[in-house]
Amino acid sequence: MTTNIEAVVPAPADALRSRSLAALTWRRLFKQRNAIVGMAILLFLTLVAIFAPLLAPYDPVQSLLGIETLKEREAPCIHMLGCPEDKPQHIMGIDANYRDVFSRIIYGTRVSLFIGFSTIGMAVVVGAVIGAVSGYLGGWVDNLIMRLMDVVLAFPSFLLAIAIITVIGRGLQNALYAIAIVNIPVFARLVRASVLSIKEQEFVSASRALGASNLRLLFVRIFPNALPTLVVQATLSIAAAILEAAALSFLGLGAQPPTPEWGTMLGSERNQVFTAPHLVFFPGLAIMLTVLAFNLLGDGVRDAMDPRLAQVAKK
Amino acid sequence: MKKMSTLFALLVAFSLVLAACGSGGTAVQDEFSALAEFEGLKLDAGSCDYGGKVLSIEAVDELTVVFTLCKPDPAFEAKIAFTPFGIQPQEHLARTGGSGELLENPIGTGPYMVAEWDRGNQIVYTRFDDYWGEAGAASTVTLRWLTEGAARLQELQAGTADYVSNLSPSDYATVQNDPNLQILYHQNPNVFYIGFTNTASPYDNVDVRRAIALGIDYQRIVDNFYPDGSEVASHFTPCAIPNGCEGESWYEFDAEAGRALLAEAGYPDGFTTRLYYRDVFRVYLPEPARVATEIQAQLQENLGITVEVVPMESGEFIAASTSGELTDGMHLLGWGADYPHVTNFMDFHFGANNPQFGNAHAEIYGPLQEASSIADVATAAPLYAEANNMVKELVPLIPVAHGAAAHAALASLQGAYYPPFGAPQFNFLDNGTDSIVFVQNAEPISLDCADETDGESLTACQQVVETLLEYGKDSGATFPELATSCESNADSTVWTCHLRDGVKFHDGSDFDADDVVASWARGLDASNPYHVGNTGSFDYYGYLWDSFMNVPAE
Repeated sequence: MTTNIEAVVPAPADALRSRSLAALTWRRLFKQRNAIVGMAILLFLTLVAIFAPLLAPYDPVQSLLGIETLKEREAPCIHMLGCPEDKPQHIMGIDANYRDVFSRIIYGTRVSLFIGFSTIGMAVVVGAVIGAVSGYLGGWVDNLIMRLMDVVLAFPSFLLAIAIITVIGRGLQNALYAIAIVNIPVFARLVRASVLSIKEQEFVSASRALGASNLRLLFVRIFPNALPTLVVQATLSIAAAILEAAALSFLGLGAQPPTPEWGTMLGSERNQVFTAPHLVFFPGLAIMLTVLAFNLLGDGVRDAMDPRLAQVAKK
Repeated sequence: MKKMSTLFALLVAFSLVLAACGSGGTAVQDEFSALAEFEGLKLDAGSCDYGGKVLSIEAVDELTVVFTLCKPDPAFEAKIAFTPFGIQPQEHLARTGGSGELLENPIGTGPYMVAEWDRGNQIVYTRFDDYWGEAGAASTVTLRWLTEGAARLQELQAGTADYVSNLSPSDYATVQNDPNLQILYHQNPNVFYIGFTNTASPYDNVDVRRAIALGIDYQRIVDNFYPDGSEVASHFTPCAIPNGCEGESWYEFDAEAGRALLAEAGYPDGFTTRLYYRDVFRVYLPEPARVATEIQAQLQENLGITVEVVPMESGEFIAASTSGELTDGMHLLGWGADYPHVTNFMDFHFGANNPQFGNAHAEIYGPLQEASSIADVATAAPLYAEANNMVKELVPLIPVAHGAAAHAALASLQGAYYPPFGAPQFNFLDNGTDSIVFVQNAEPISLDCADETDGESLTACQQVVETLLEYGKDSGATFPELATSCESNADSTVWTCHLRDGVKFHDGSDFDADDVVASWARGLDASNPYHVGNTGSFDYYGYLWDSFMNVPAE
């Protein structure tokens, strides 16, 4: 009887992969069907956003009055589905200002993805620094910062965003700031909790004993170990941020006309649910798909990074 | 015996005649003494130095009121027919202290009485059986409100409303194609305009304002964003108003000329500005956000002007725009006629004291001031032509459109109409049942309409409180209501109104001249103890009669 040594001893490459959390995570991620669907949708949306000028048949803000013969809020016209060939094709119809809805939806992808990444990017950077400093220094600094975060968290996030916009003024840029601000405490608390547990571990003590500075300890030794949880939370928060931005725009507090933003498109035609349903259906669908994609991906990343869930999956 | 009985009978008869004569005599005597003793109320400014138009209002007898004006007012009859000048019993005003209960429970002489106001939900009216005029067919009318046009139409389609106001333009076709519904076009004169405040750059430059006037395709706006029946404004005042369209017509759309003028003004590549508006349905601007976006697109395309559209909360917008605070941009506003006279459009907007457009232009308000005391339409025409020409020359604002509106009712509702001025009277509506439901677009603010300006409150009040004259069902002509006639002296400075006899208020009290003086005094006299109201501003008294009497010194 011979023993296949290769089967027992991992190959160097496999051994290396097994030591890399990122590689493990990717492998686990690609084994999850939901995450793959989320990634596929997200990839599709990203490509749409990048190639919007090539994909959109019309300028998203230009009125087609005087260019084509149109009716306001005209229903979709798709030649393949029987729309007369002599009529210009508008596969998602025409809006109240005689603009092509399809083109606006395509350009809206850019706006929504930008909102998602920029707001959560801001919140992650600021929240992580605050949380790391708070958790590492401890004492009165930690107490002060965390009580401030508690105050922010005490308000319902959407109401707080509205309150902030009321103070700093409406508009997409201010809406981004507002959403970022209300998300900061989530990341601050998360990073603080990780830092509190990691800073007591032996490898940190060893580094300290070897004379590492506080900054090096915090940002080279401790912080990278808090990243996985941060990534999971950030992925899930992007979906919420897009939804919040759409809600703010729906209320007229976020993106302003003529910006092709899905929430604004939905809000401006909310009274036409029965008379021109295509004007609320397509922006609504776009928001739903984007949020779904980030949620599926976020769930997948969380599952992939959680060793306990990985153990359960193995059993 | 027979003689005795005859004598007795004669005595009895004589006594009866004497008694009858005695009582009759007393009645006549009482009447004479009442006439002799009637000391009617009088509101007297003492002089015209306070700046208002009204010198005095006096109840000279129970059924006669005399208005003495400081200067002729050609629109006097049109103004006094306006709902804020409704009459309530002086005792009710005194009992409520001019506020409190008065805000929700007005007592008038109208065909319906307020039975209950369920705040946030509905107002229920019951028929006033002692009404002097045409009694309502329904014993109960319910007034409700829904802000969304689509929701109002749904109520009508579902049969839970008999009449809904302010159709969304996109719903016109739906109503026209539904045999169970009827569409009611509304011809209230109005104007939608783009206003500038000329105290800051670049709007302090008249060429910039003119360039914008040339760079807007008005026809495109009206054709694509307004309902049928709307028209491009050739003048600020609609032509339906006498003297409204005197003078030159407004600029035609000419983008090239606009660009050239803008370049001459120092802006060859345009500039960046703001466009303020309130997202509230008005007949003159049915879909503000759409029109704002269209103007934004046109200015960018035609003149290279980059515009940020800024929707504002309604109250904040009105306060800021009318006080001339929106200096960093243009504003979209409009005007619906309160009463059918050119002064209602021109004098209000272009008066010497109006800060809305920045520094007022003497070239405009000069002829207007002169014209405002001329009763004869033809005599005043050249002055209005001069004023209109100067509006075109100086462009304090850009008149864009005169909007049309429509309302809808069940086809089975008899007598459904919407007058050019005021609101429909519920007593003319008949659905064949004992109950009618009327749905409008907002809840009244209060039912003390002497101190309200919004149409929703005035519609609710109009069913309850009546004025001396009323507007016609299909025109702005005035007809007798609580006054059977109002006659003026030769120079239109003294108006004598003869009141309708036998009219009763909802509380059972008799209507007389003192009620007229008391109601007017409450609105016009700032020192009147009942000059309280909802906010105490009594806007229409101050605005239509130029000033309040006895304004306390600040």
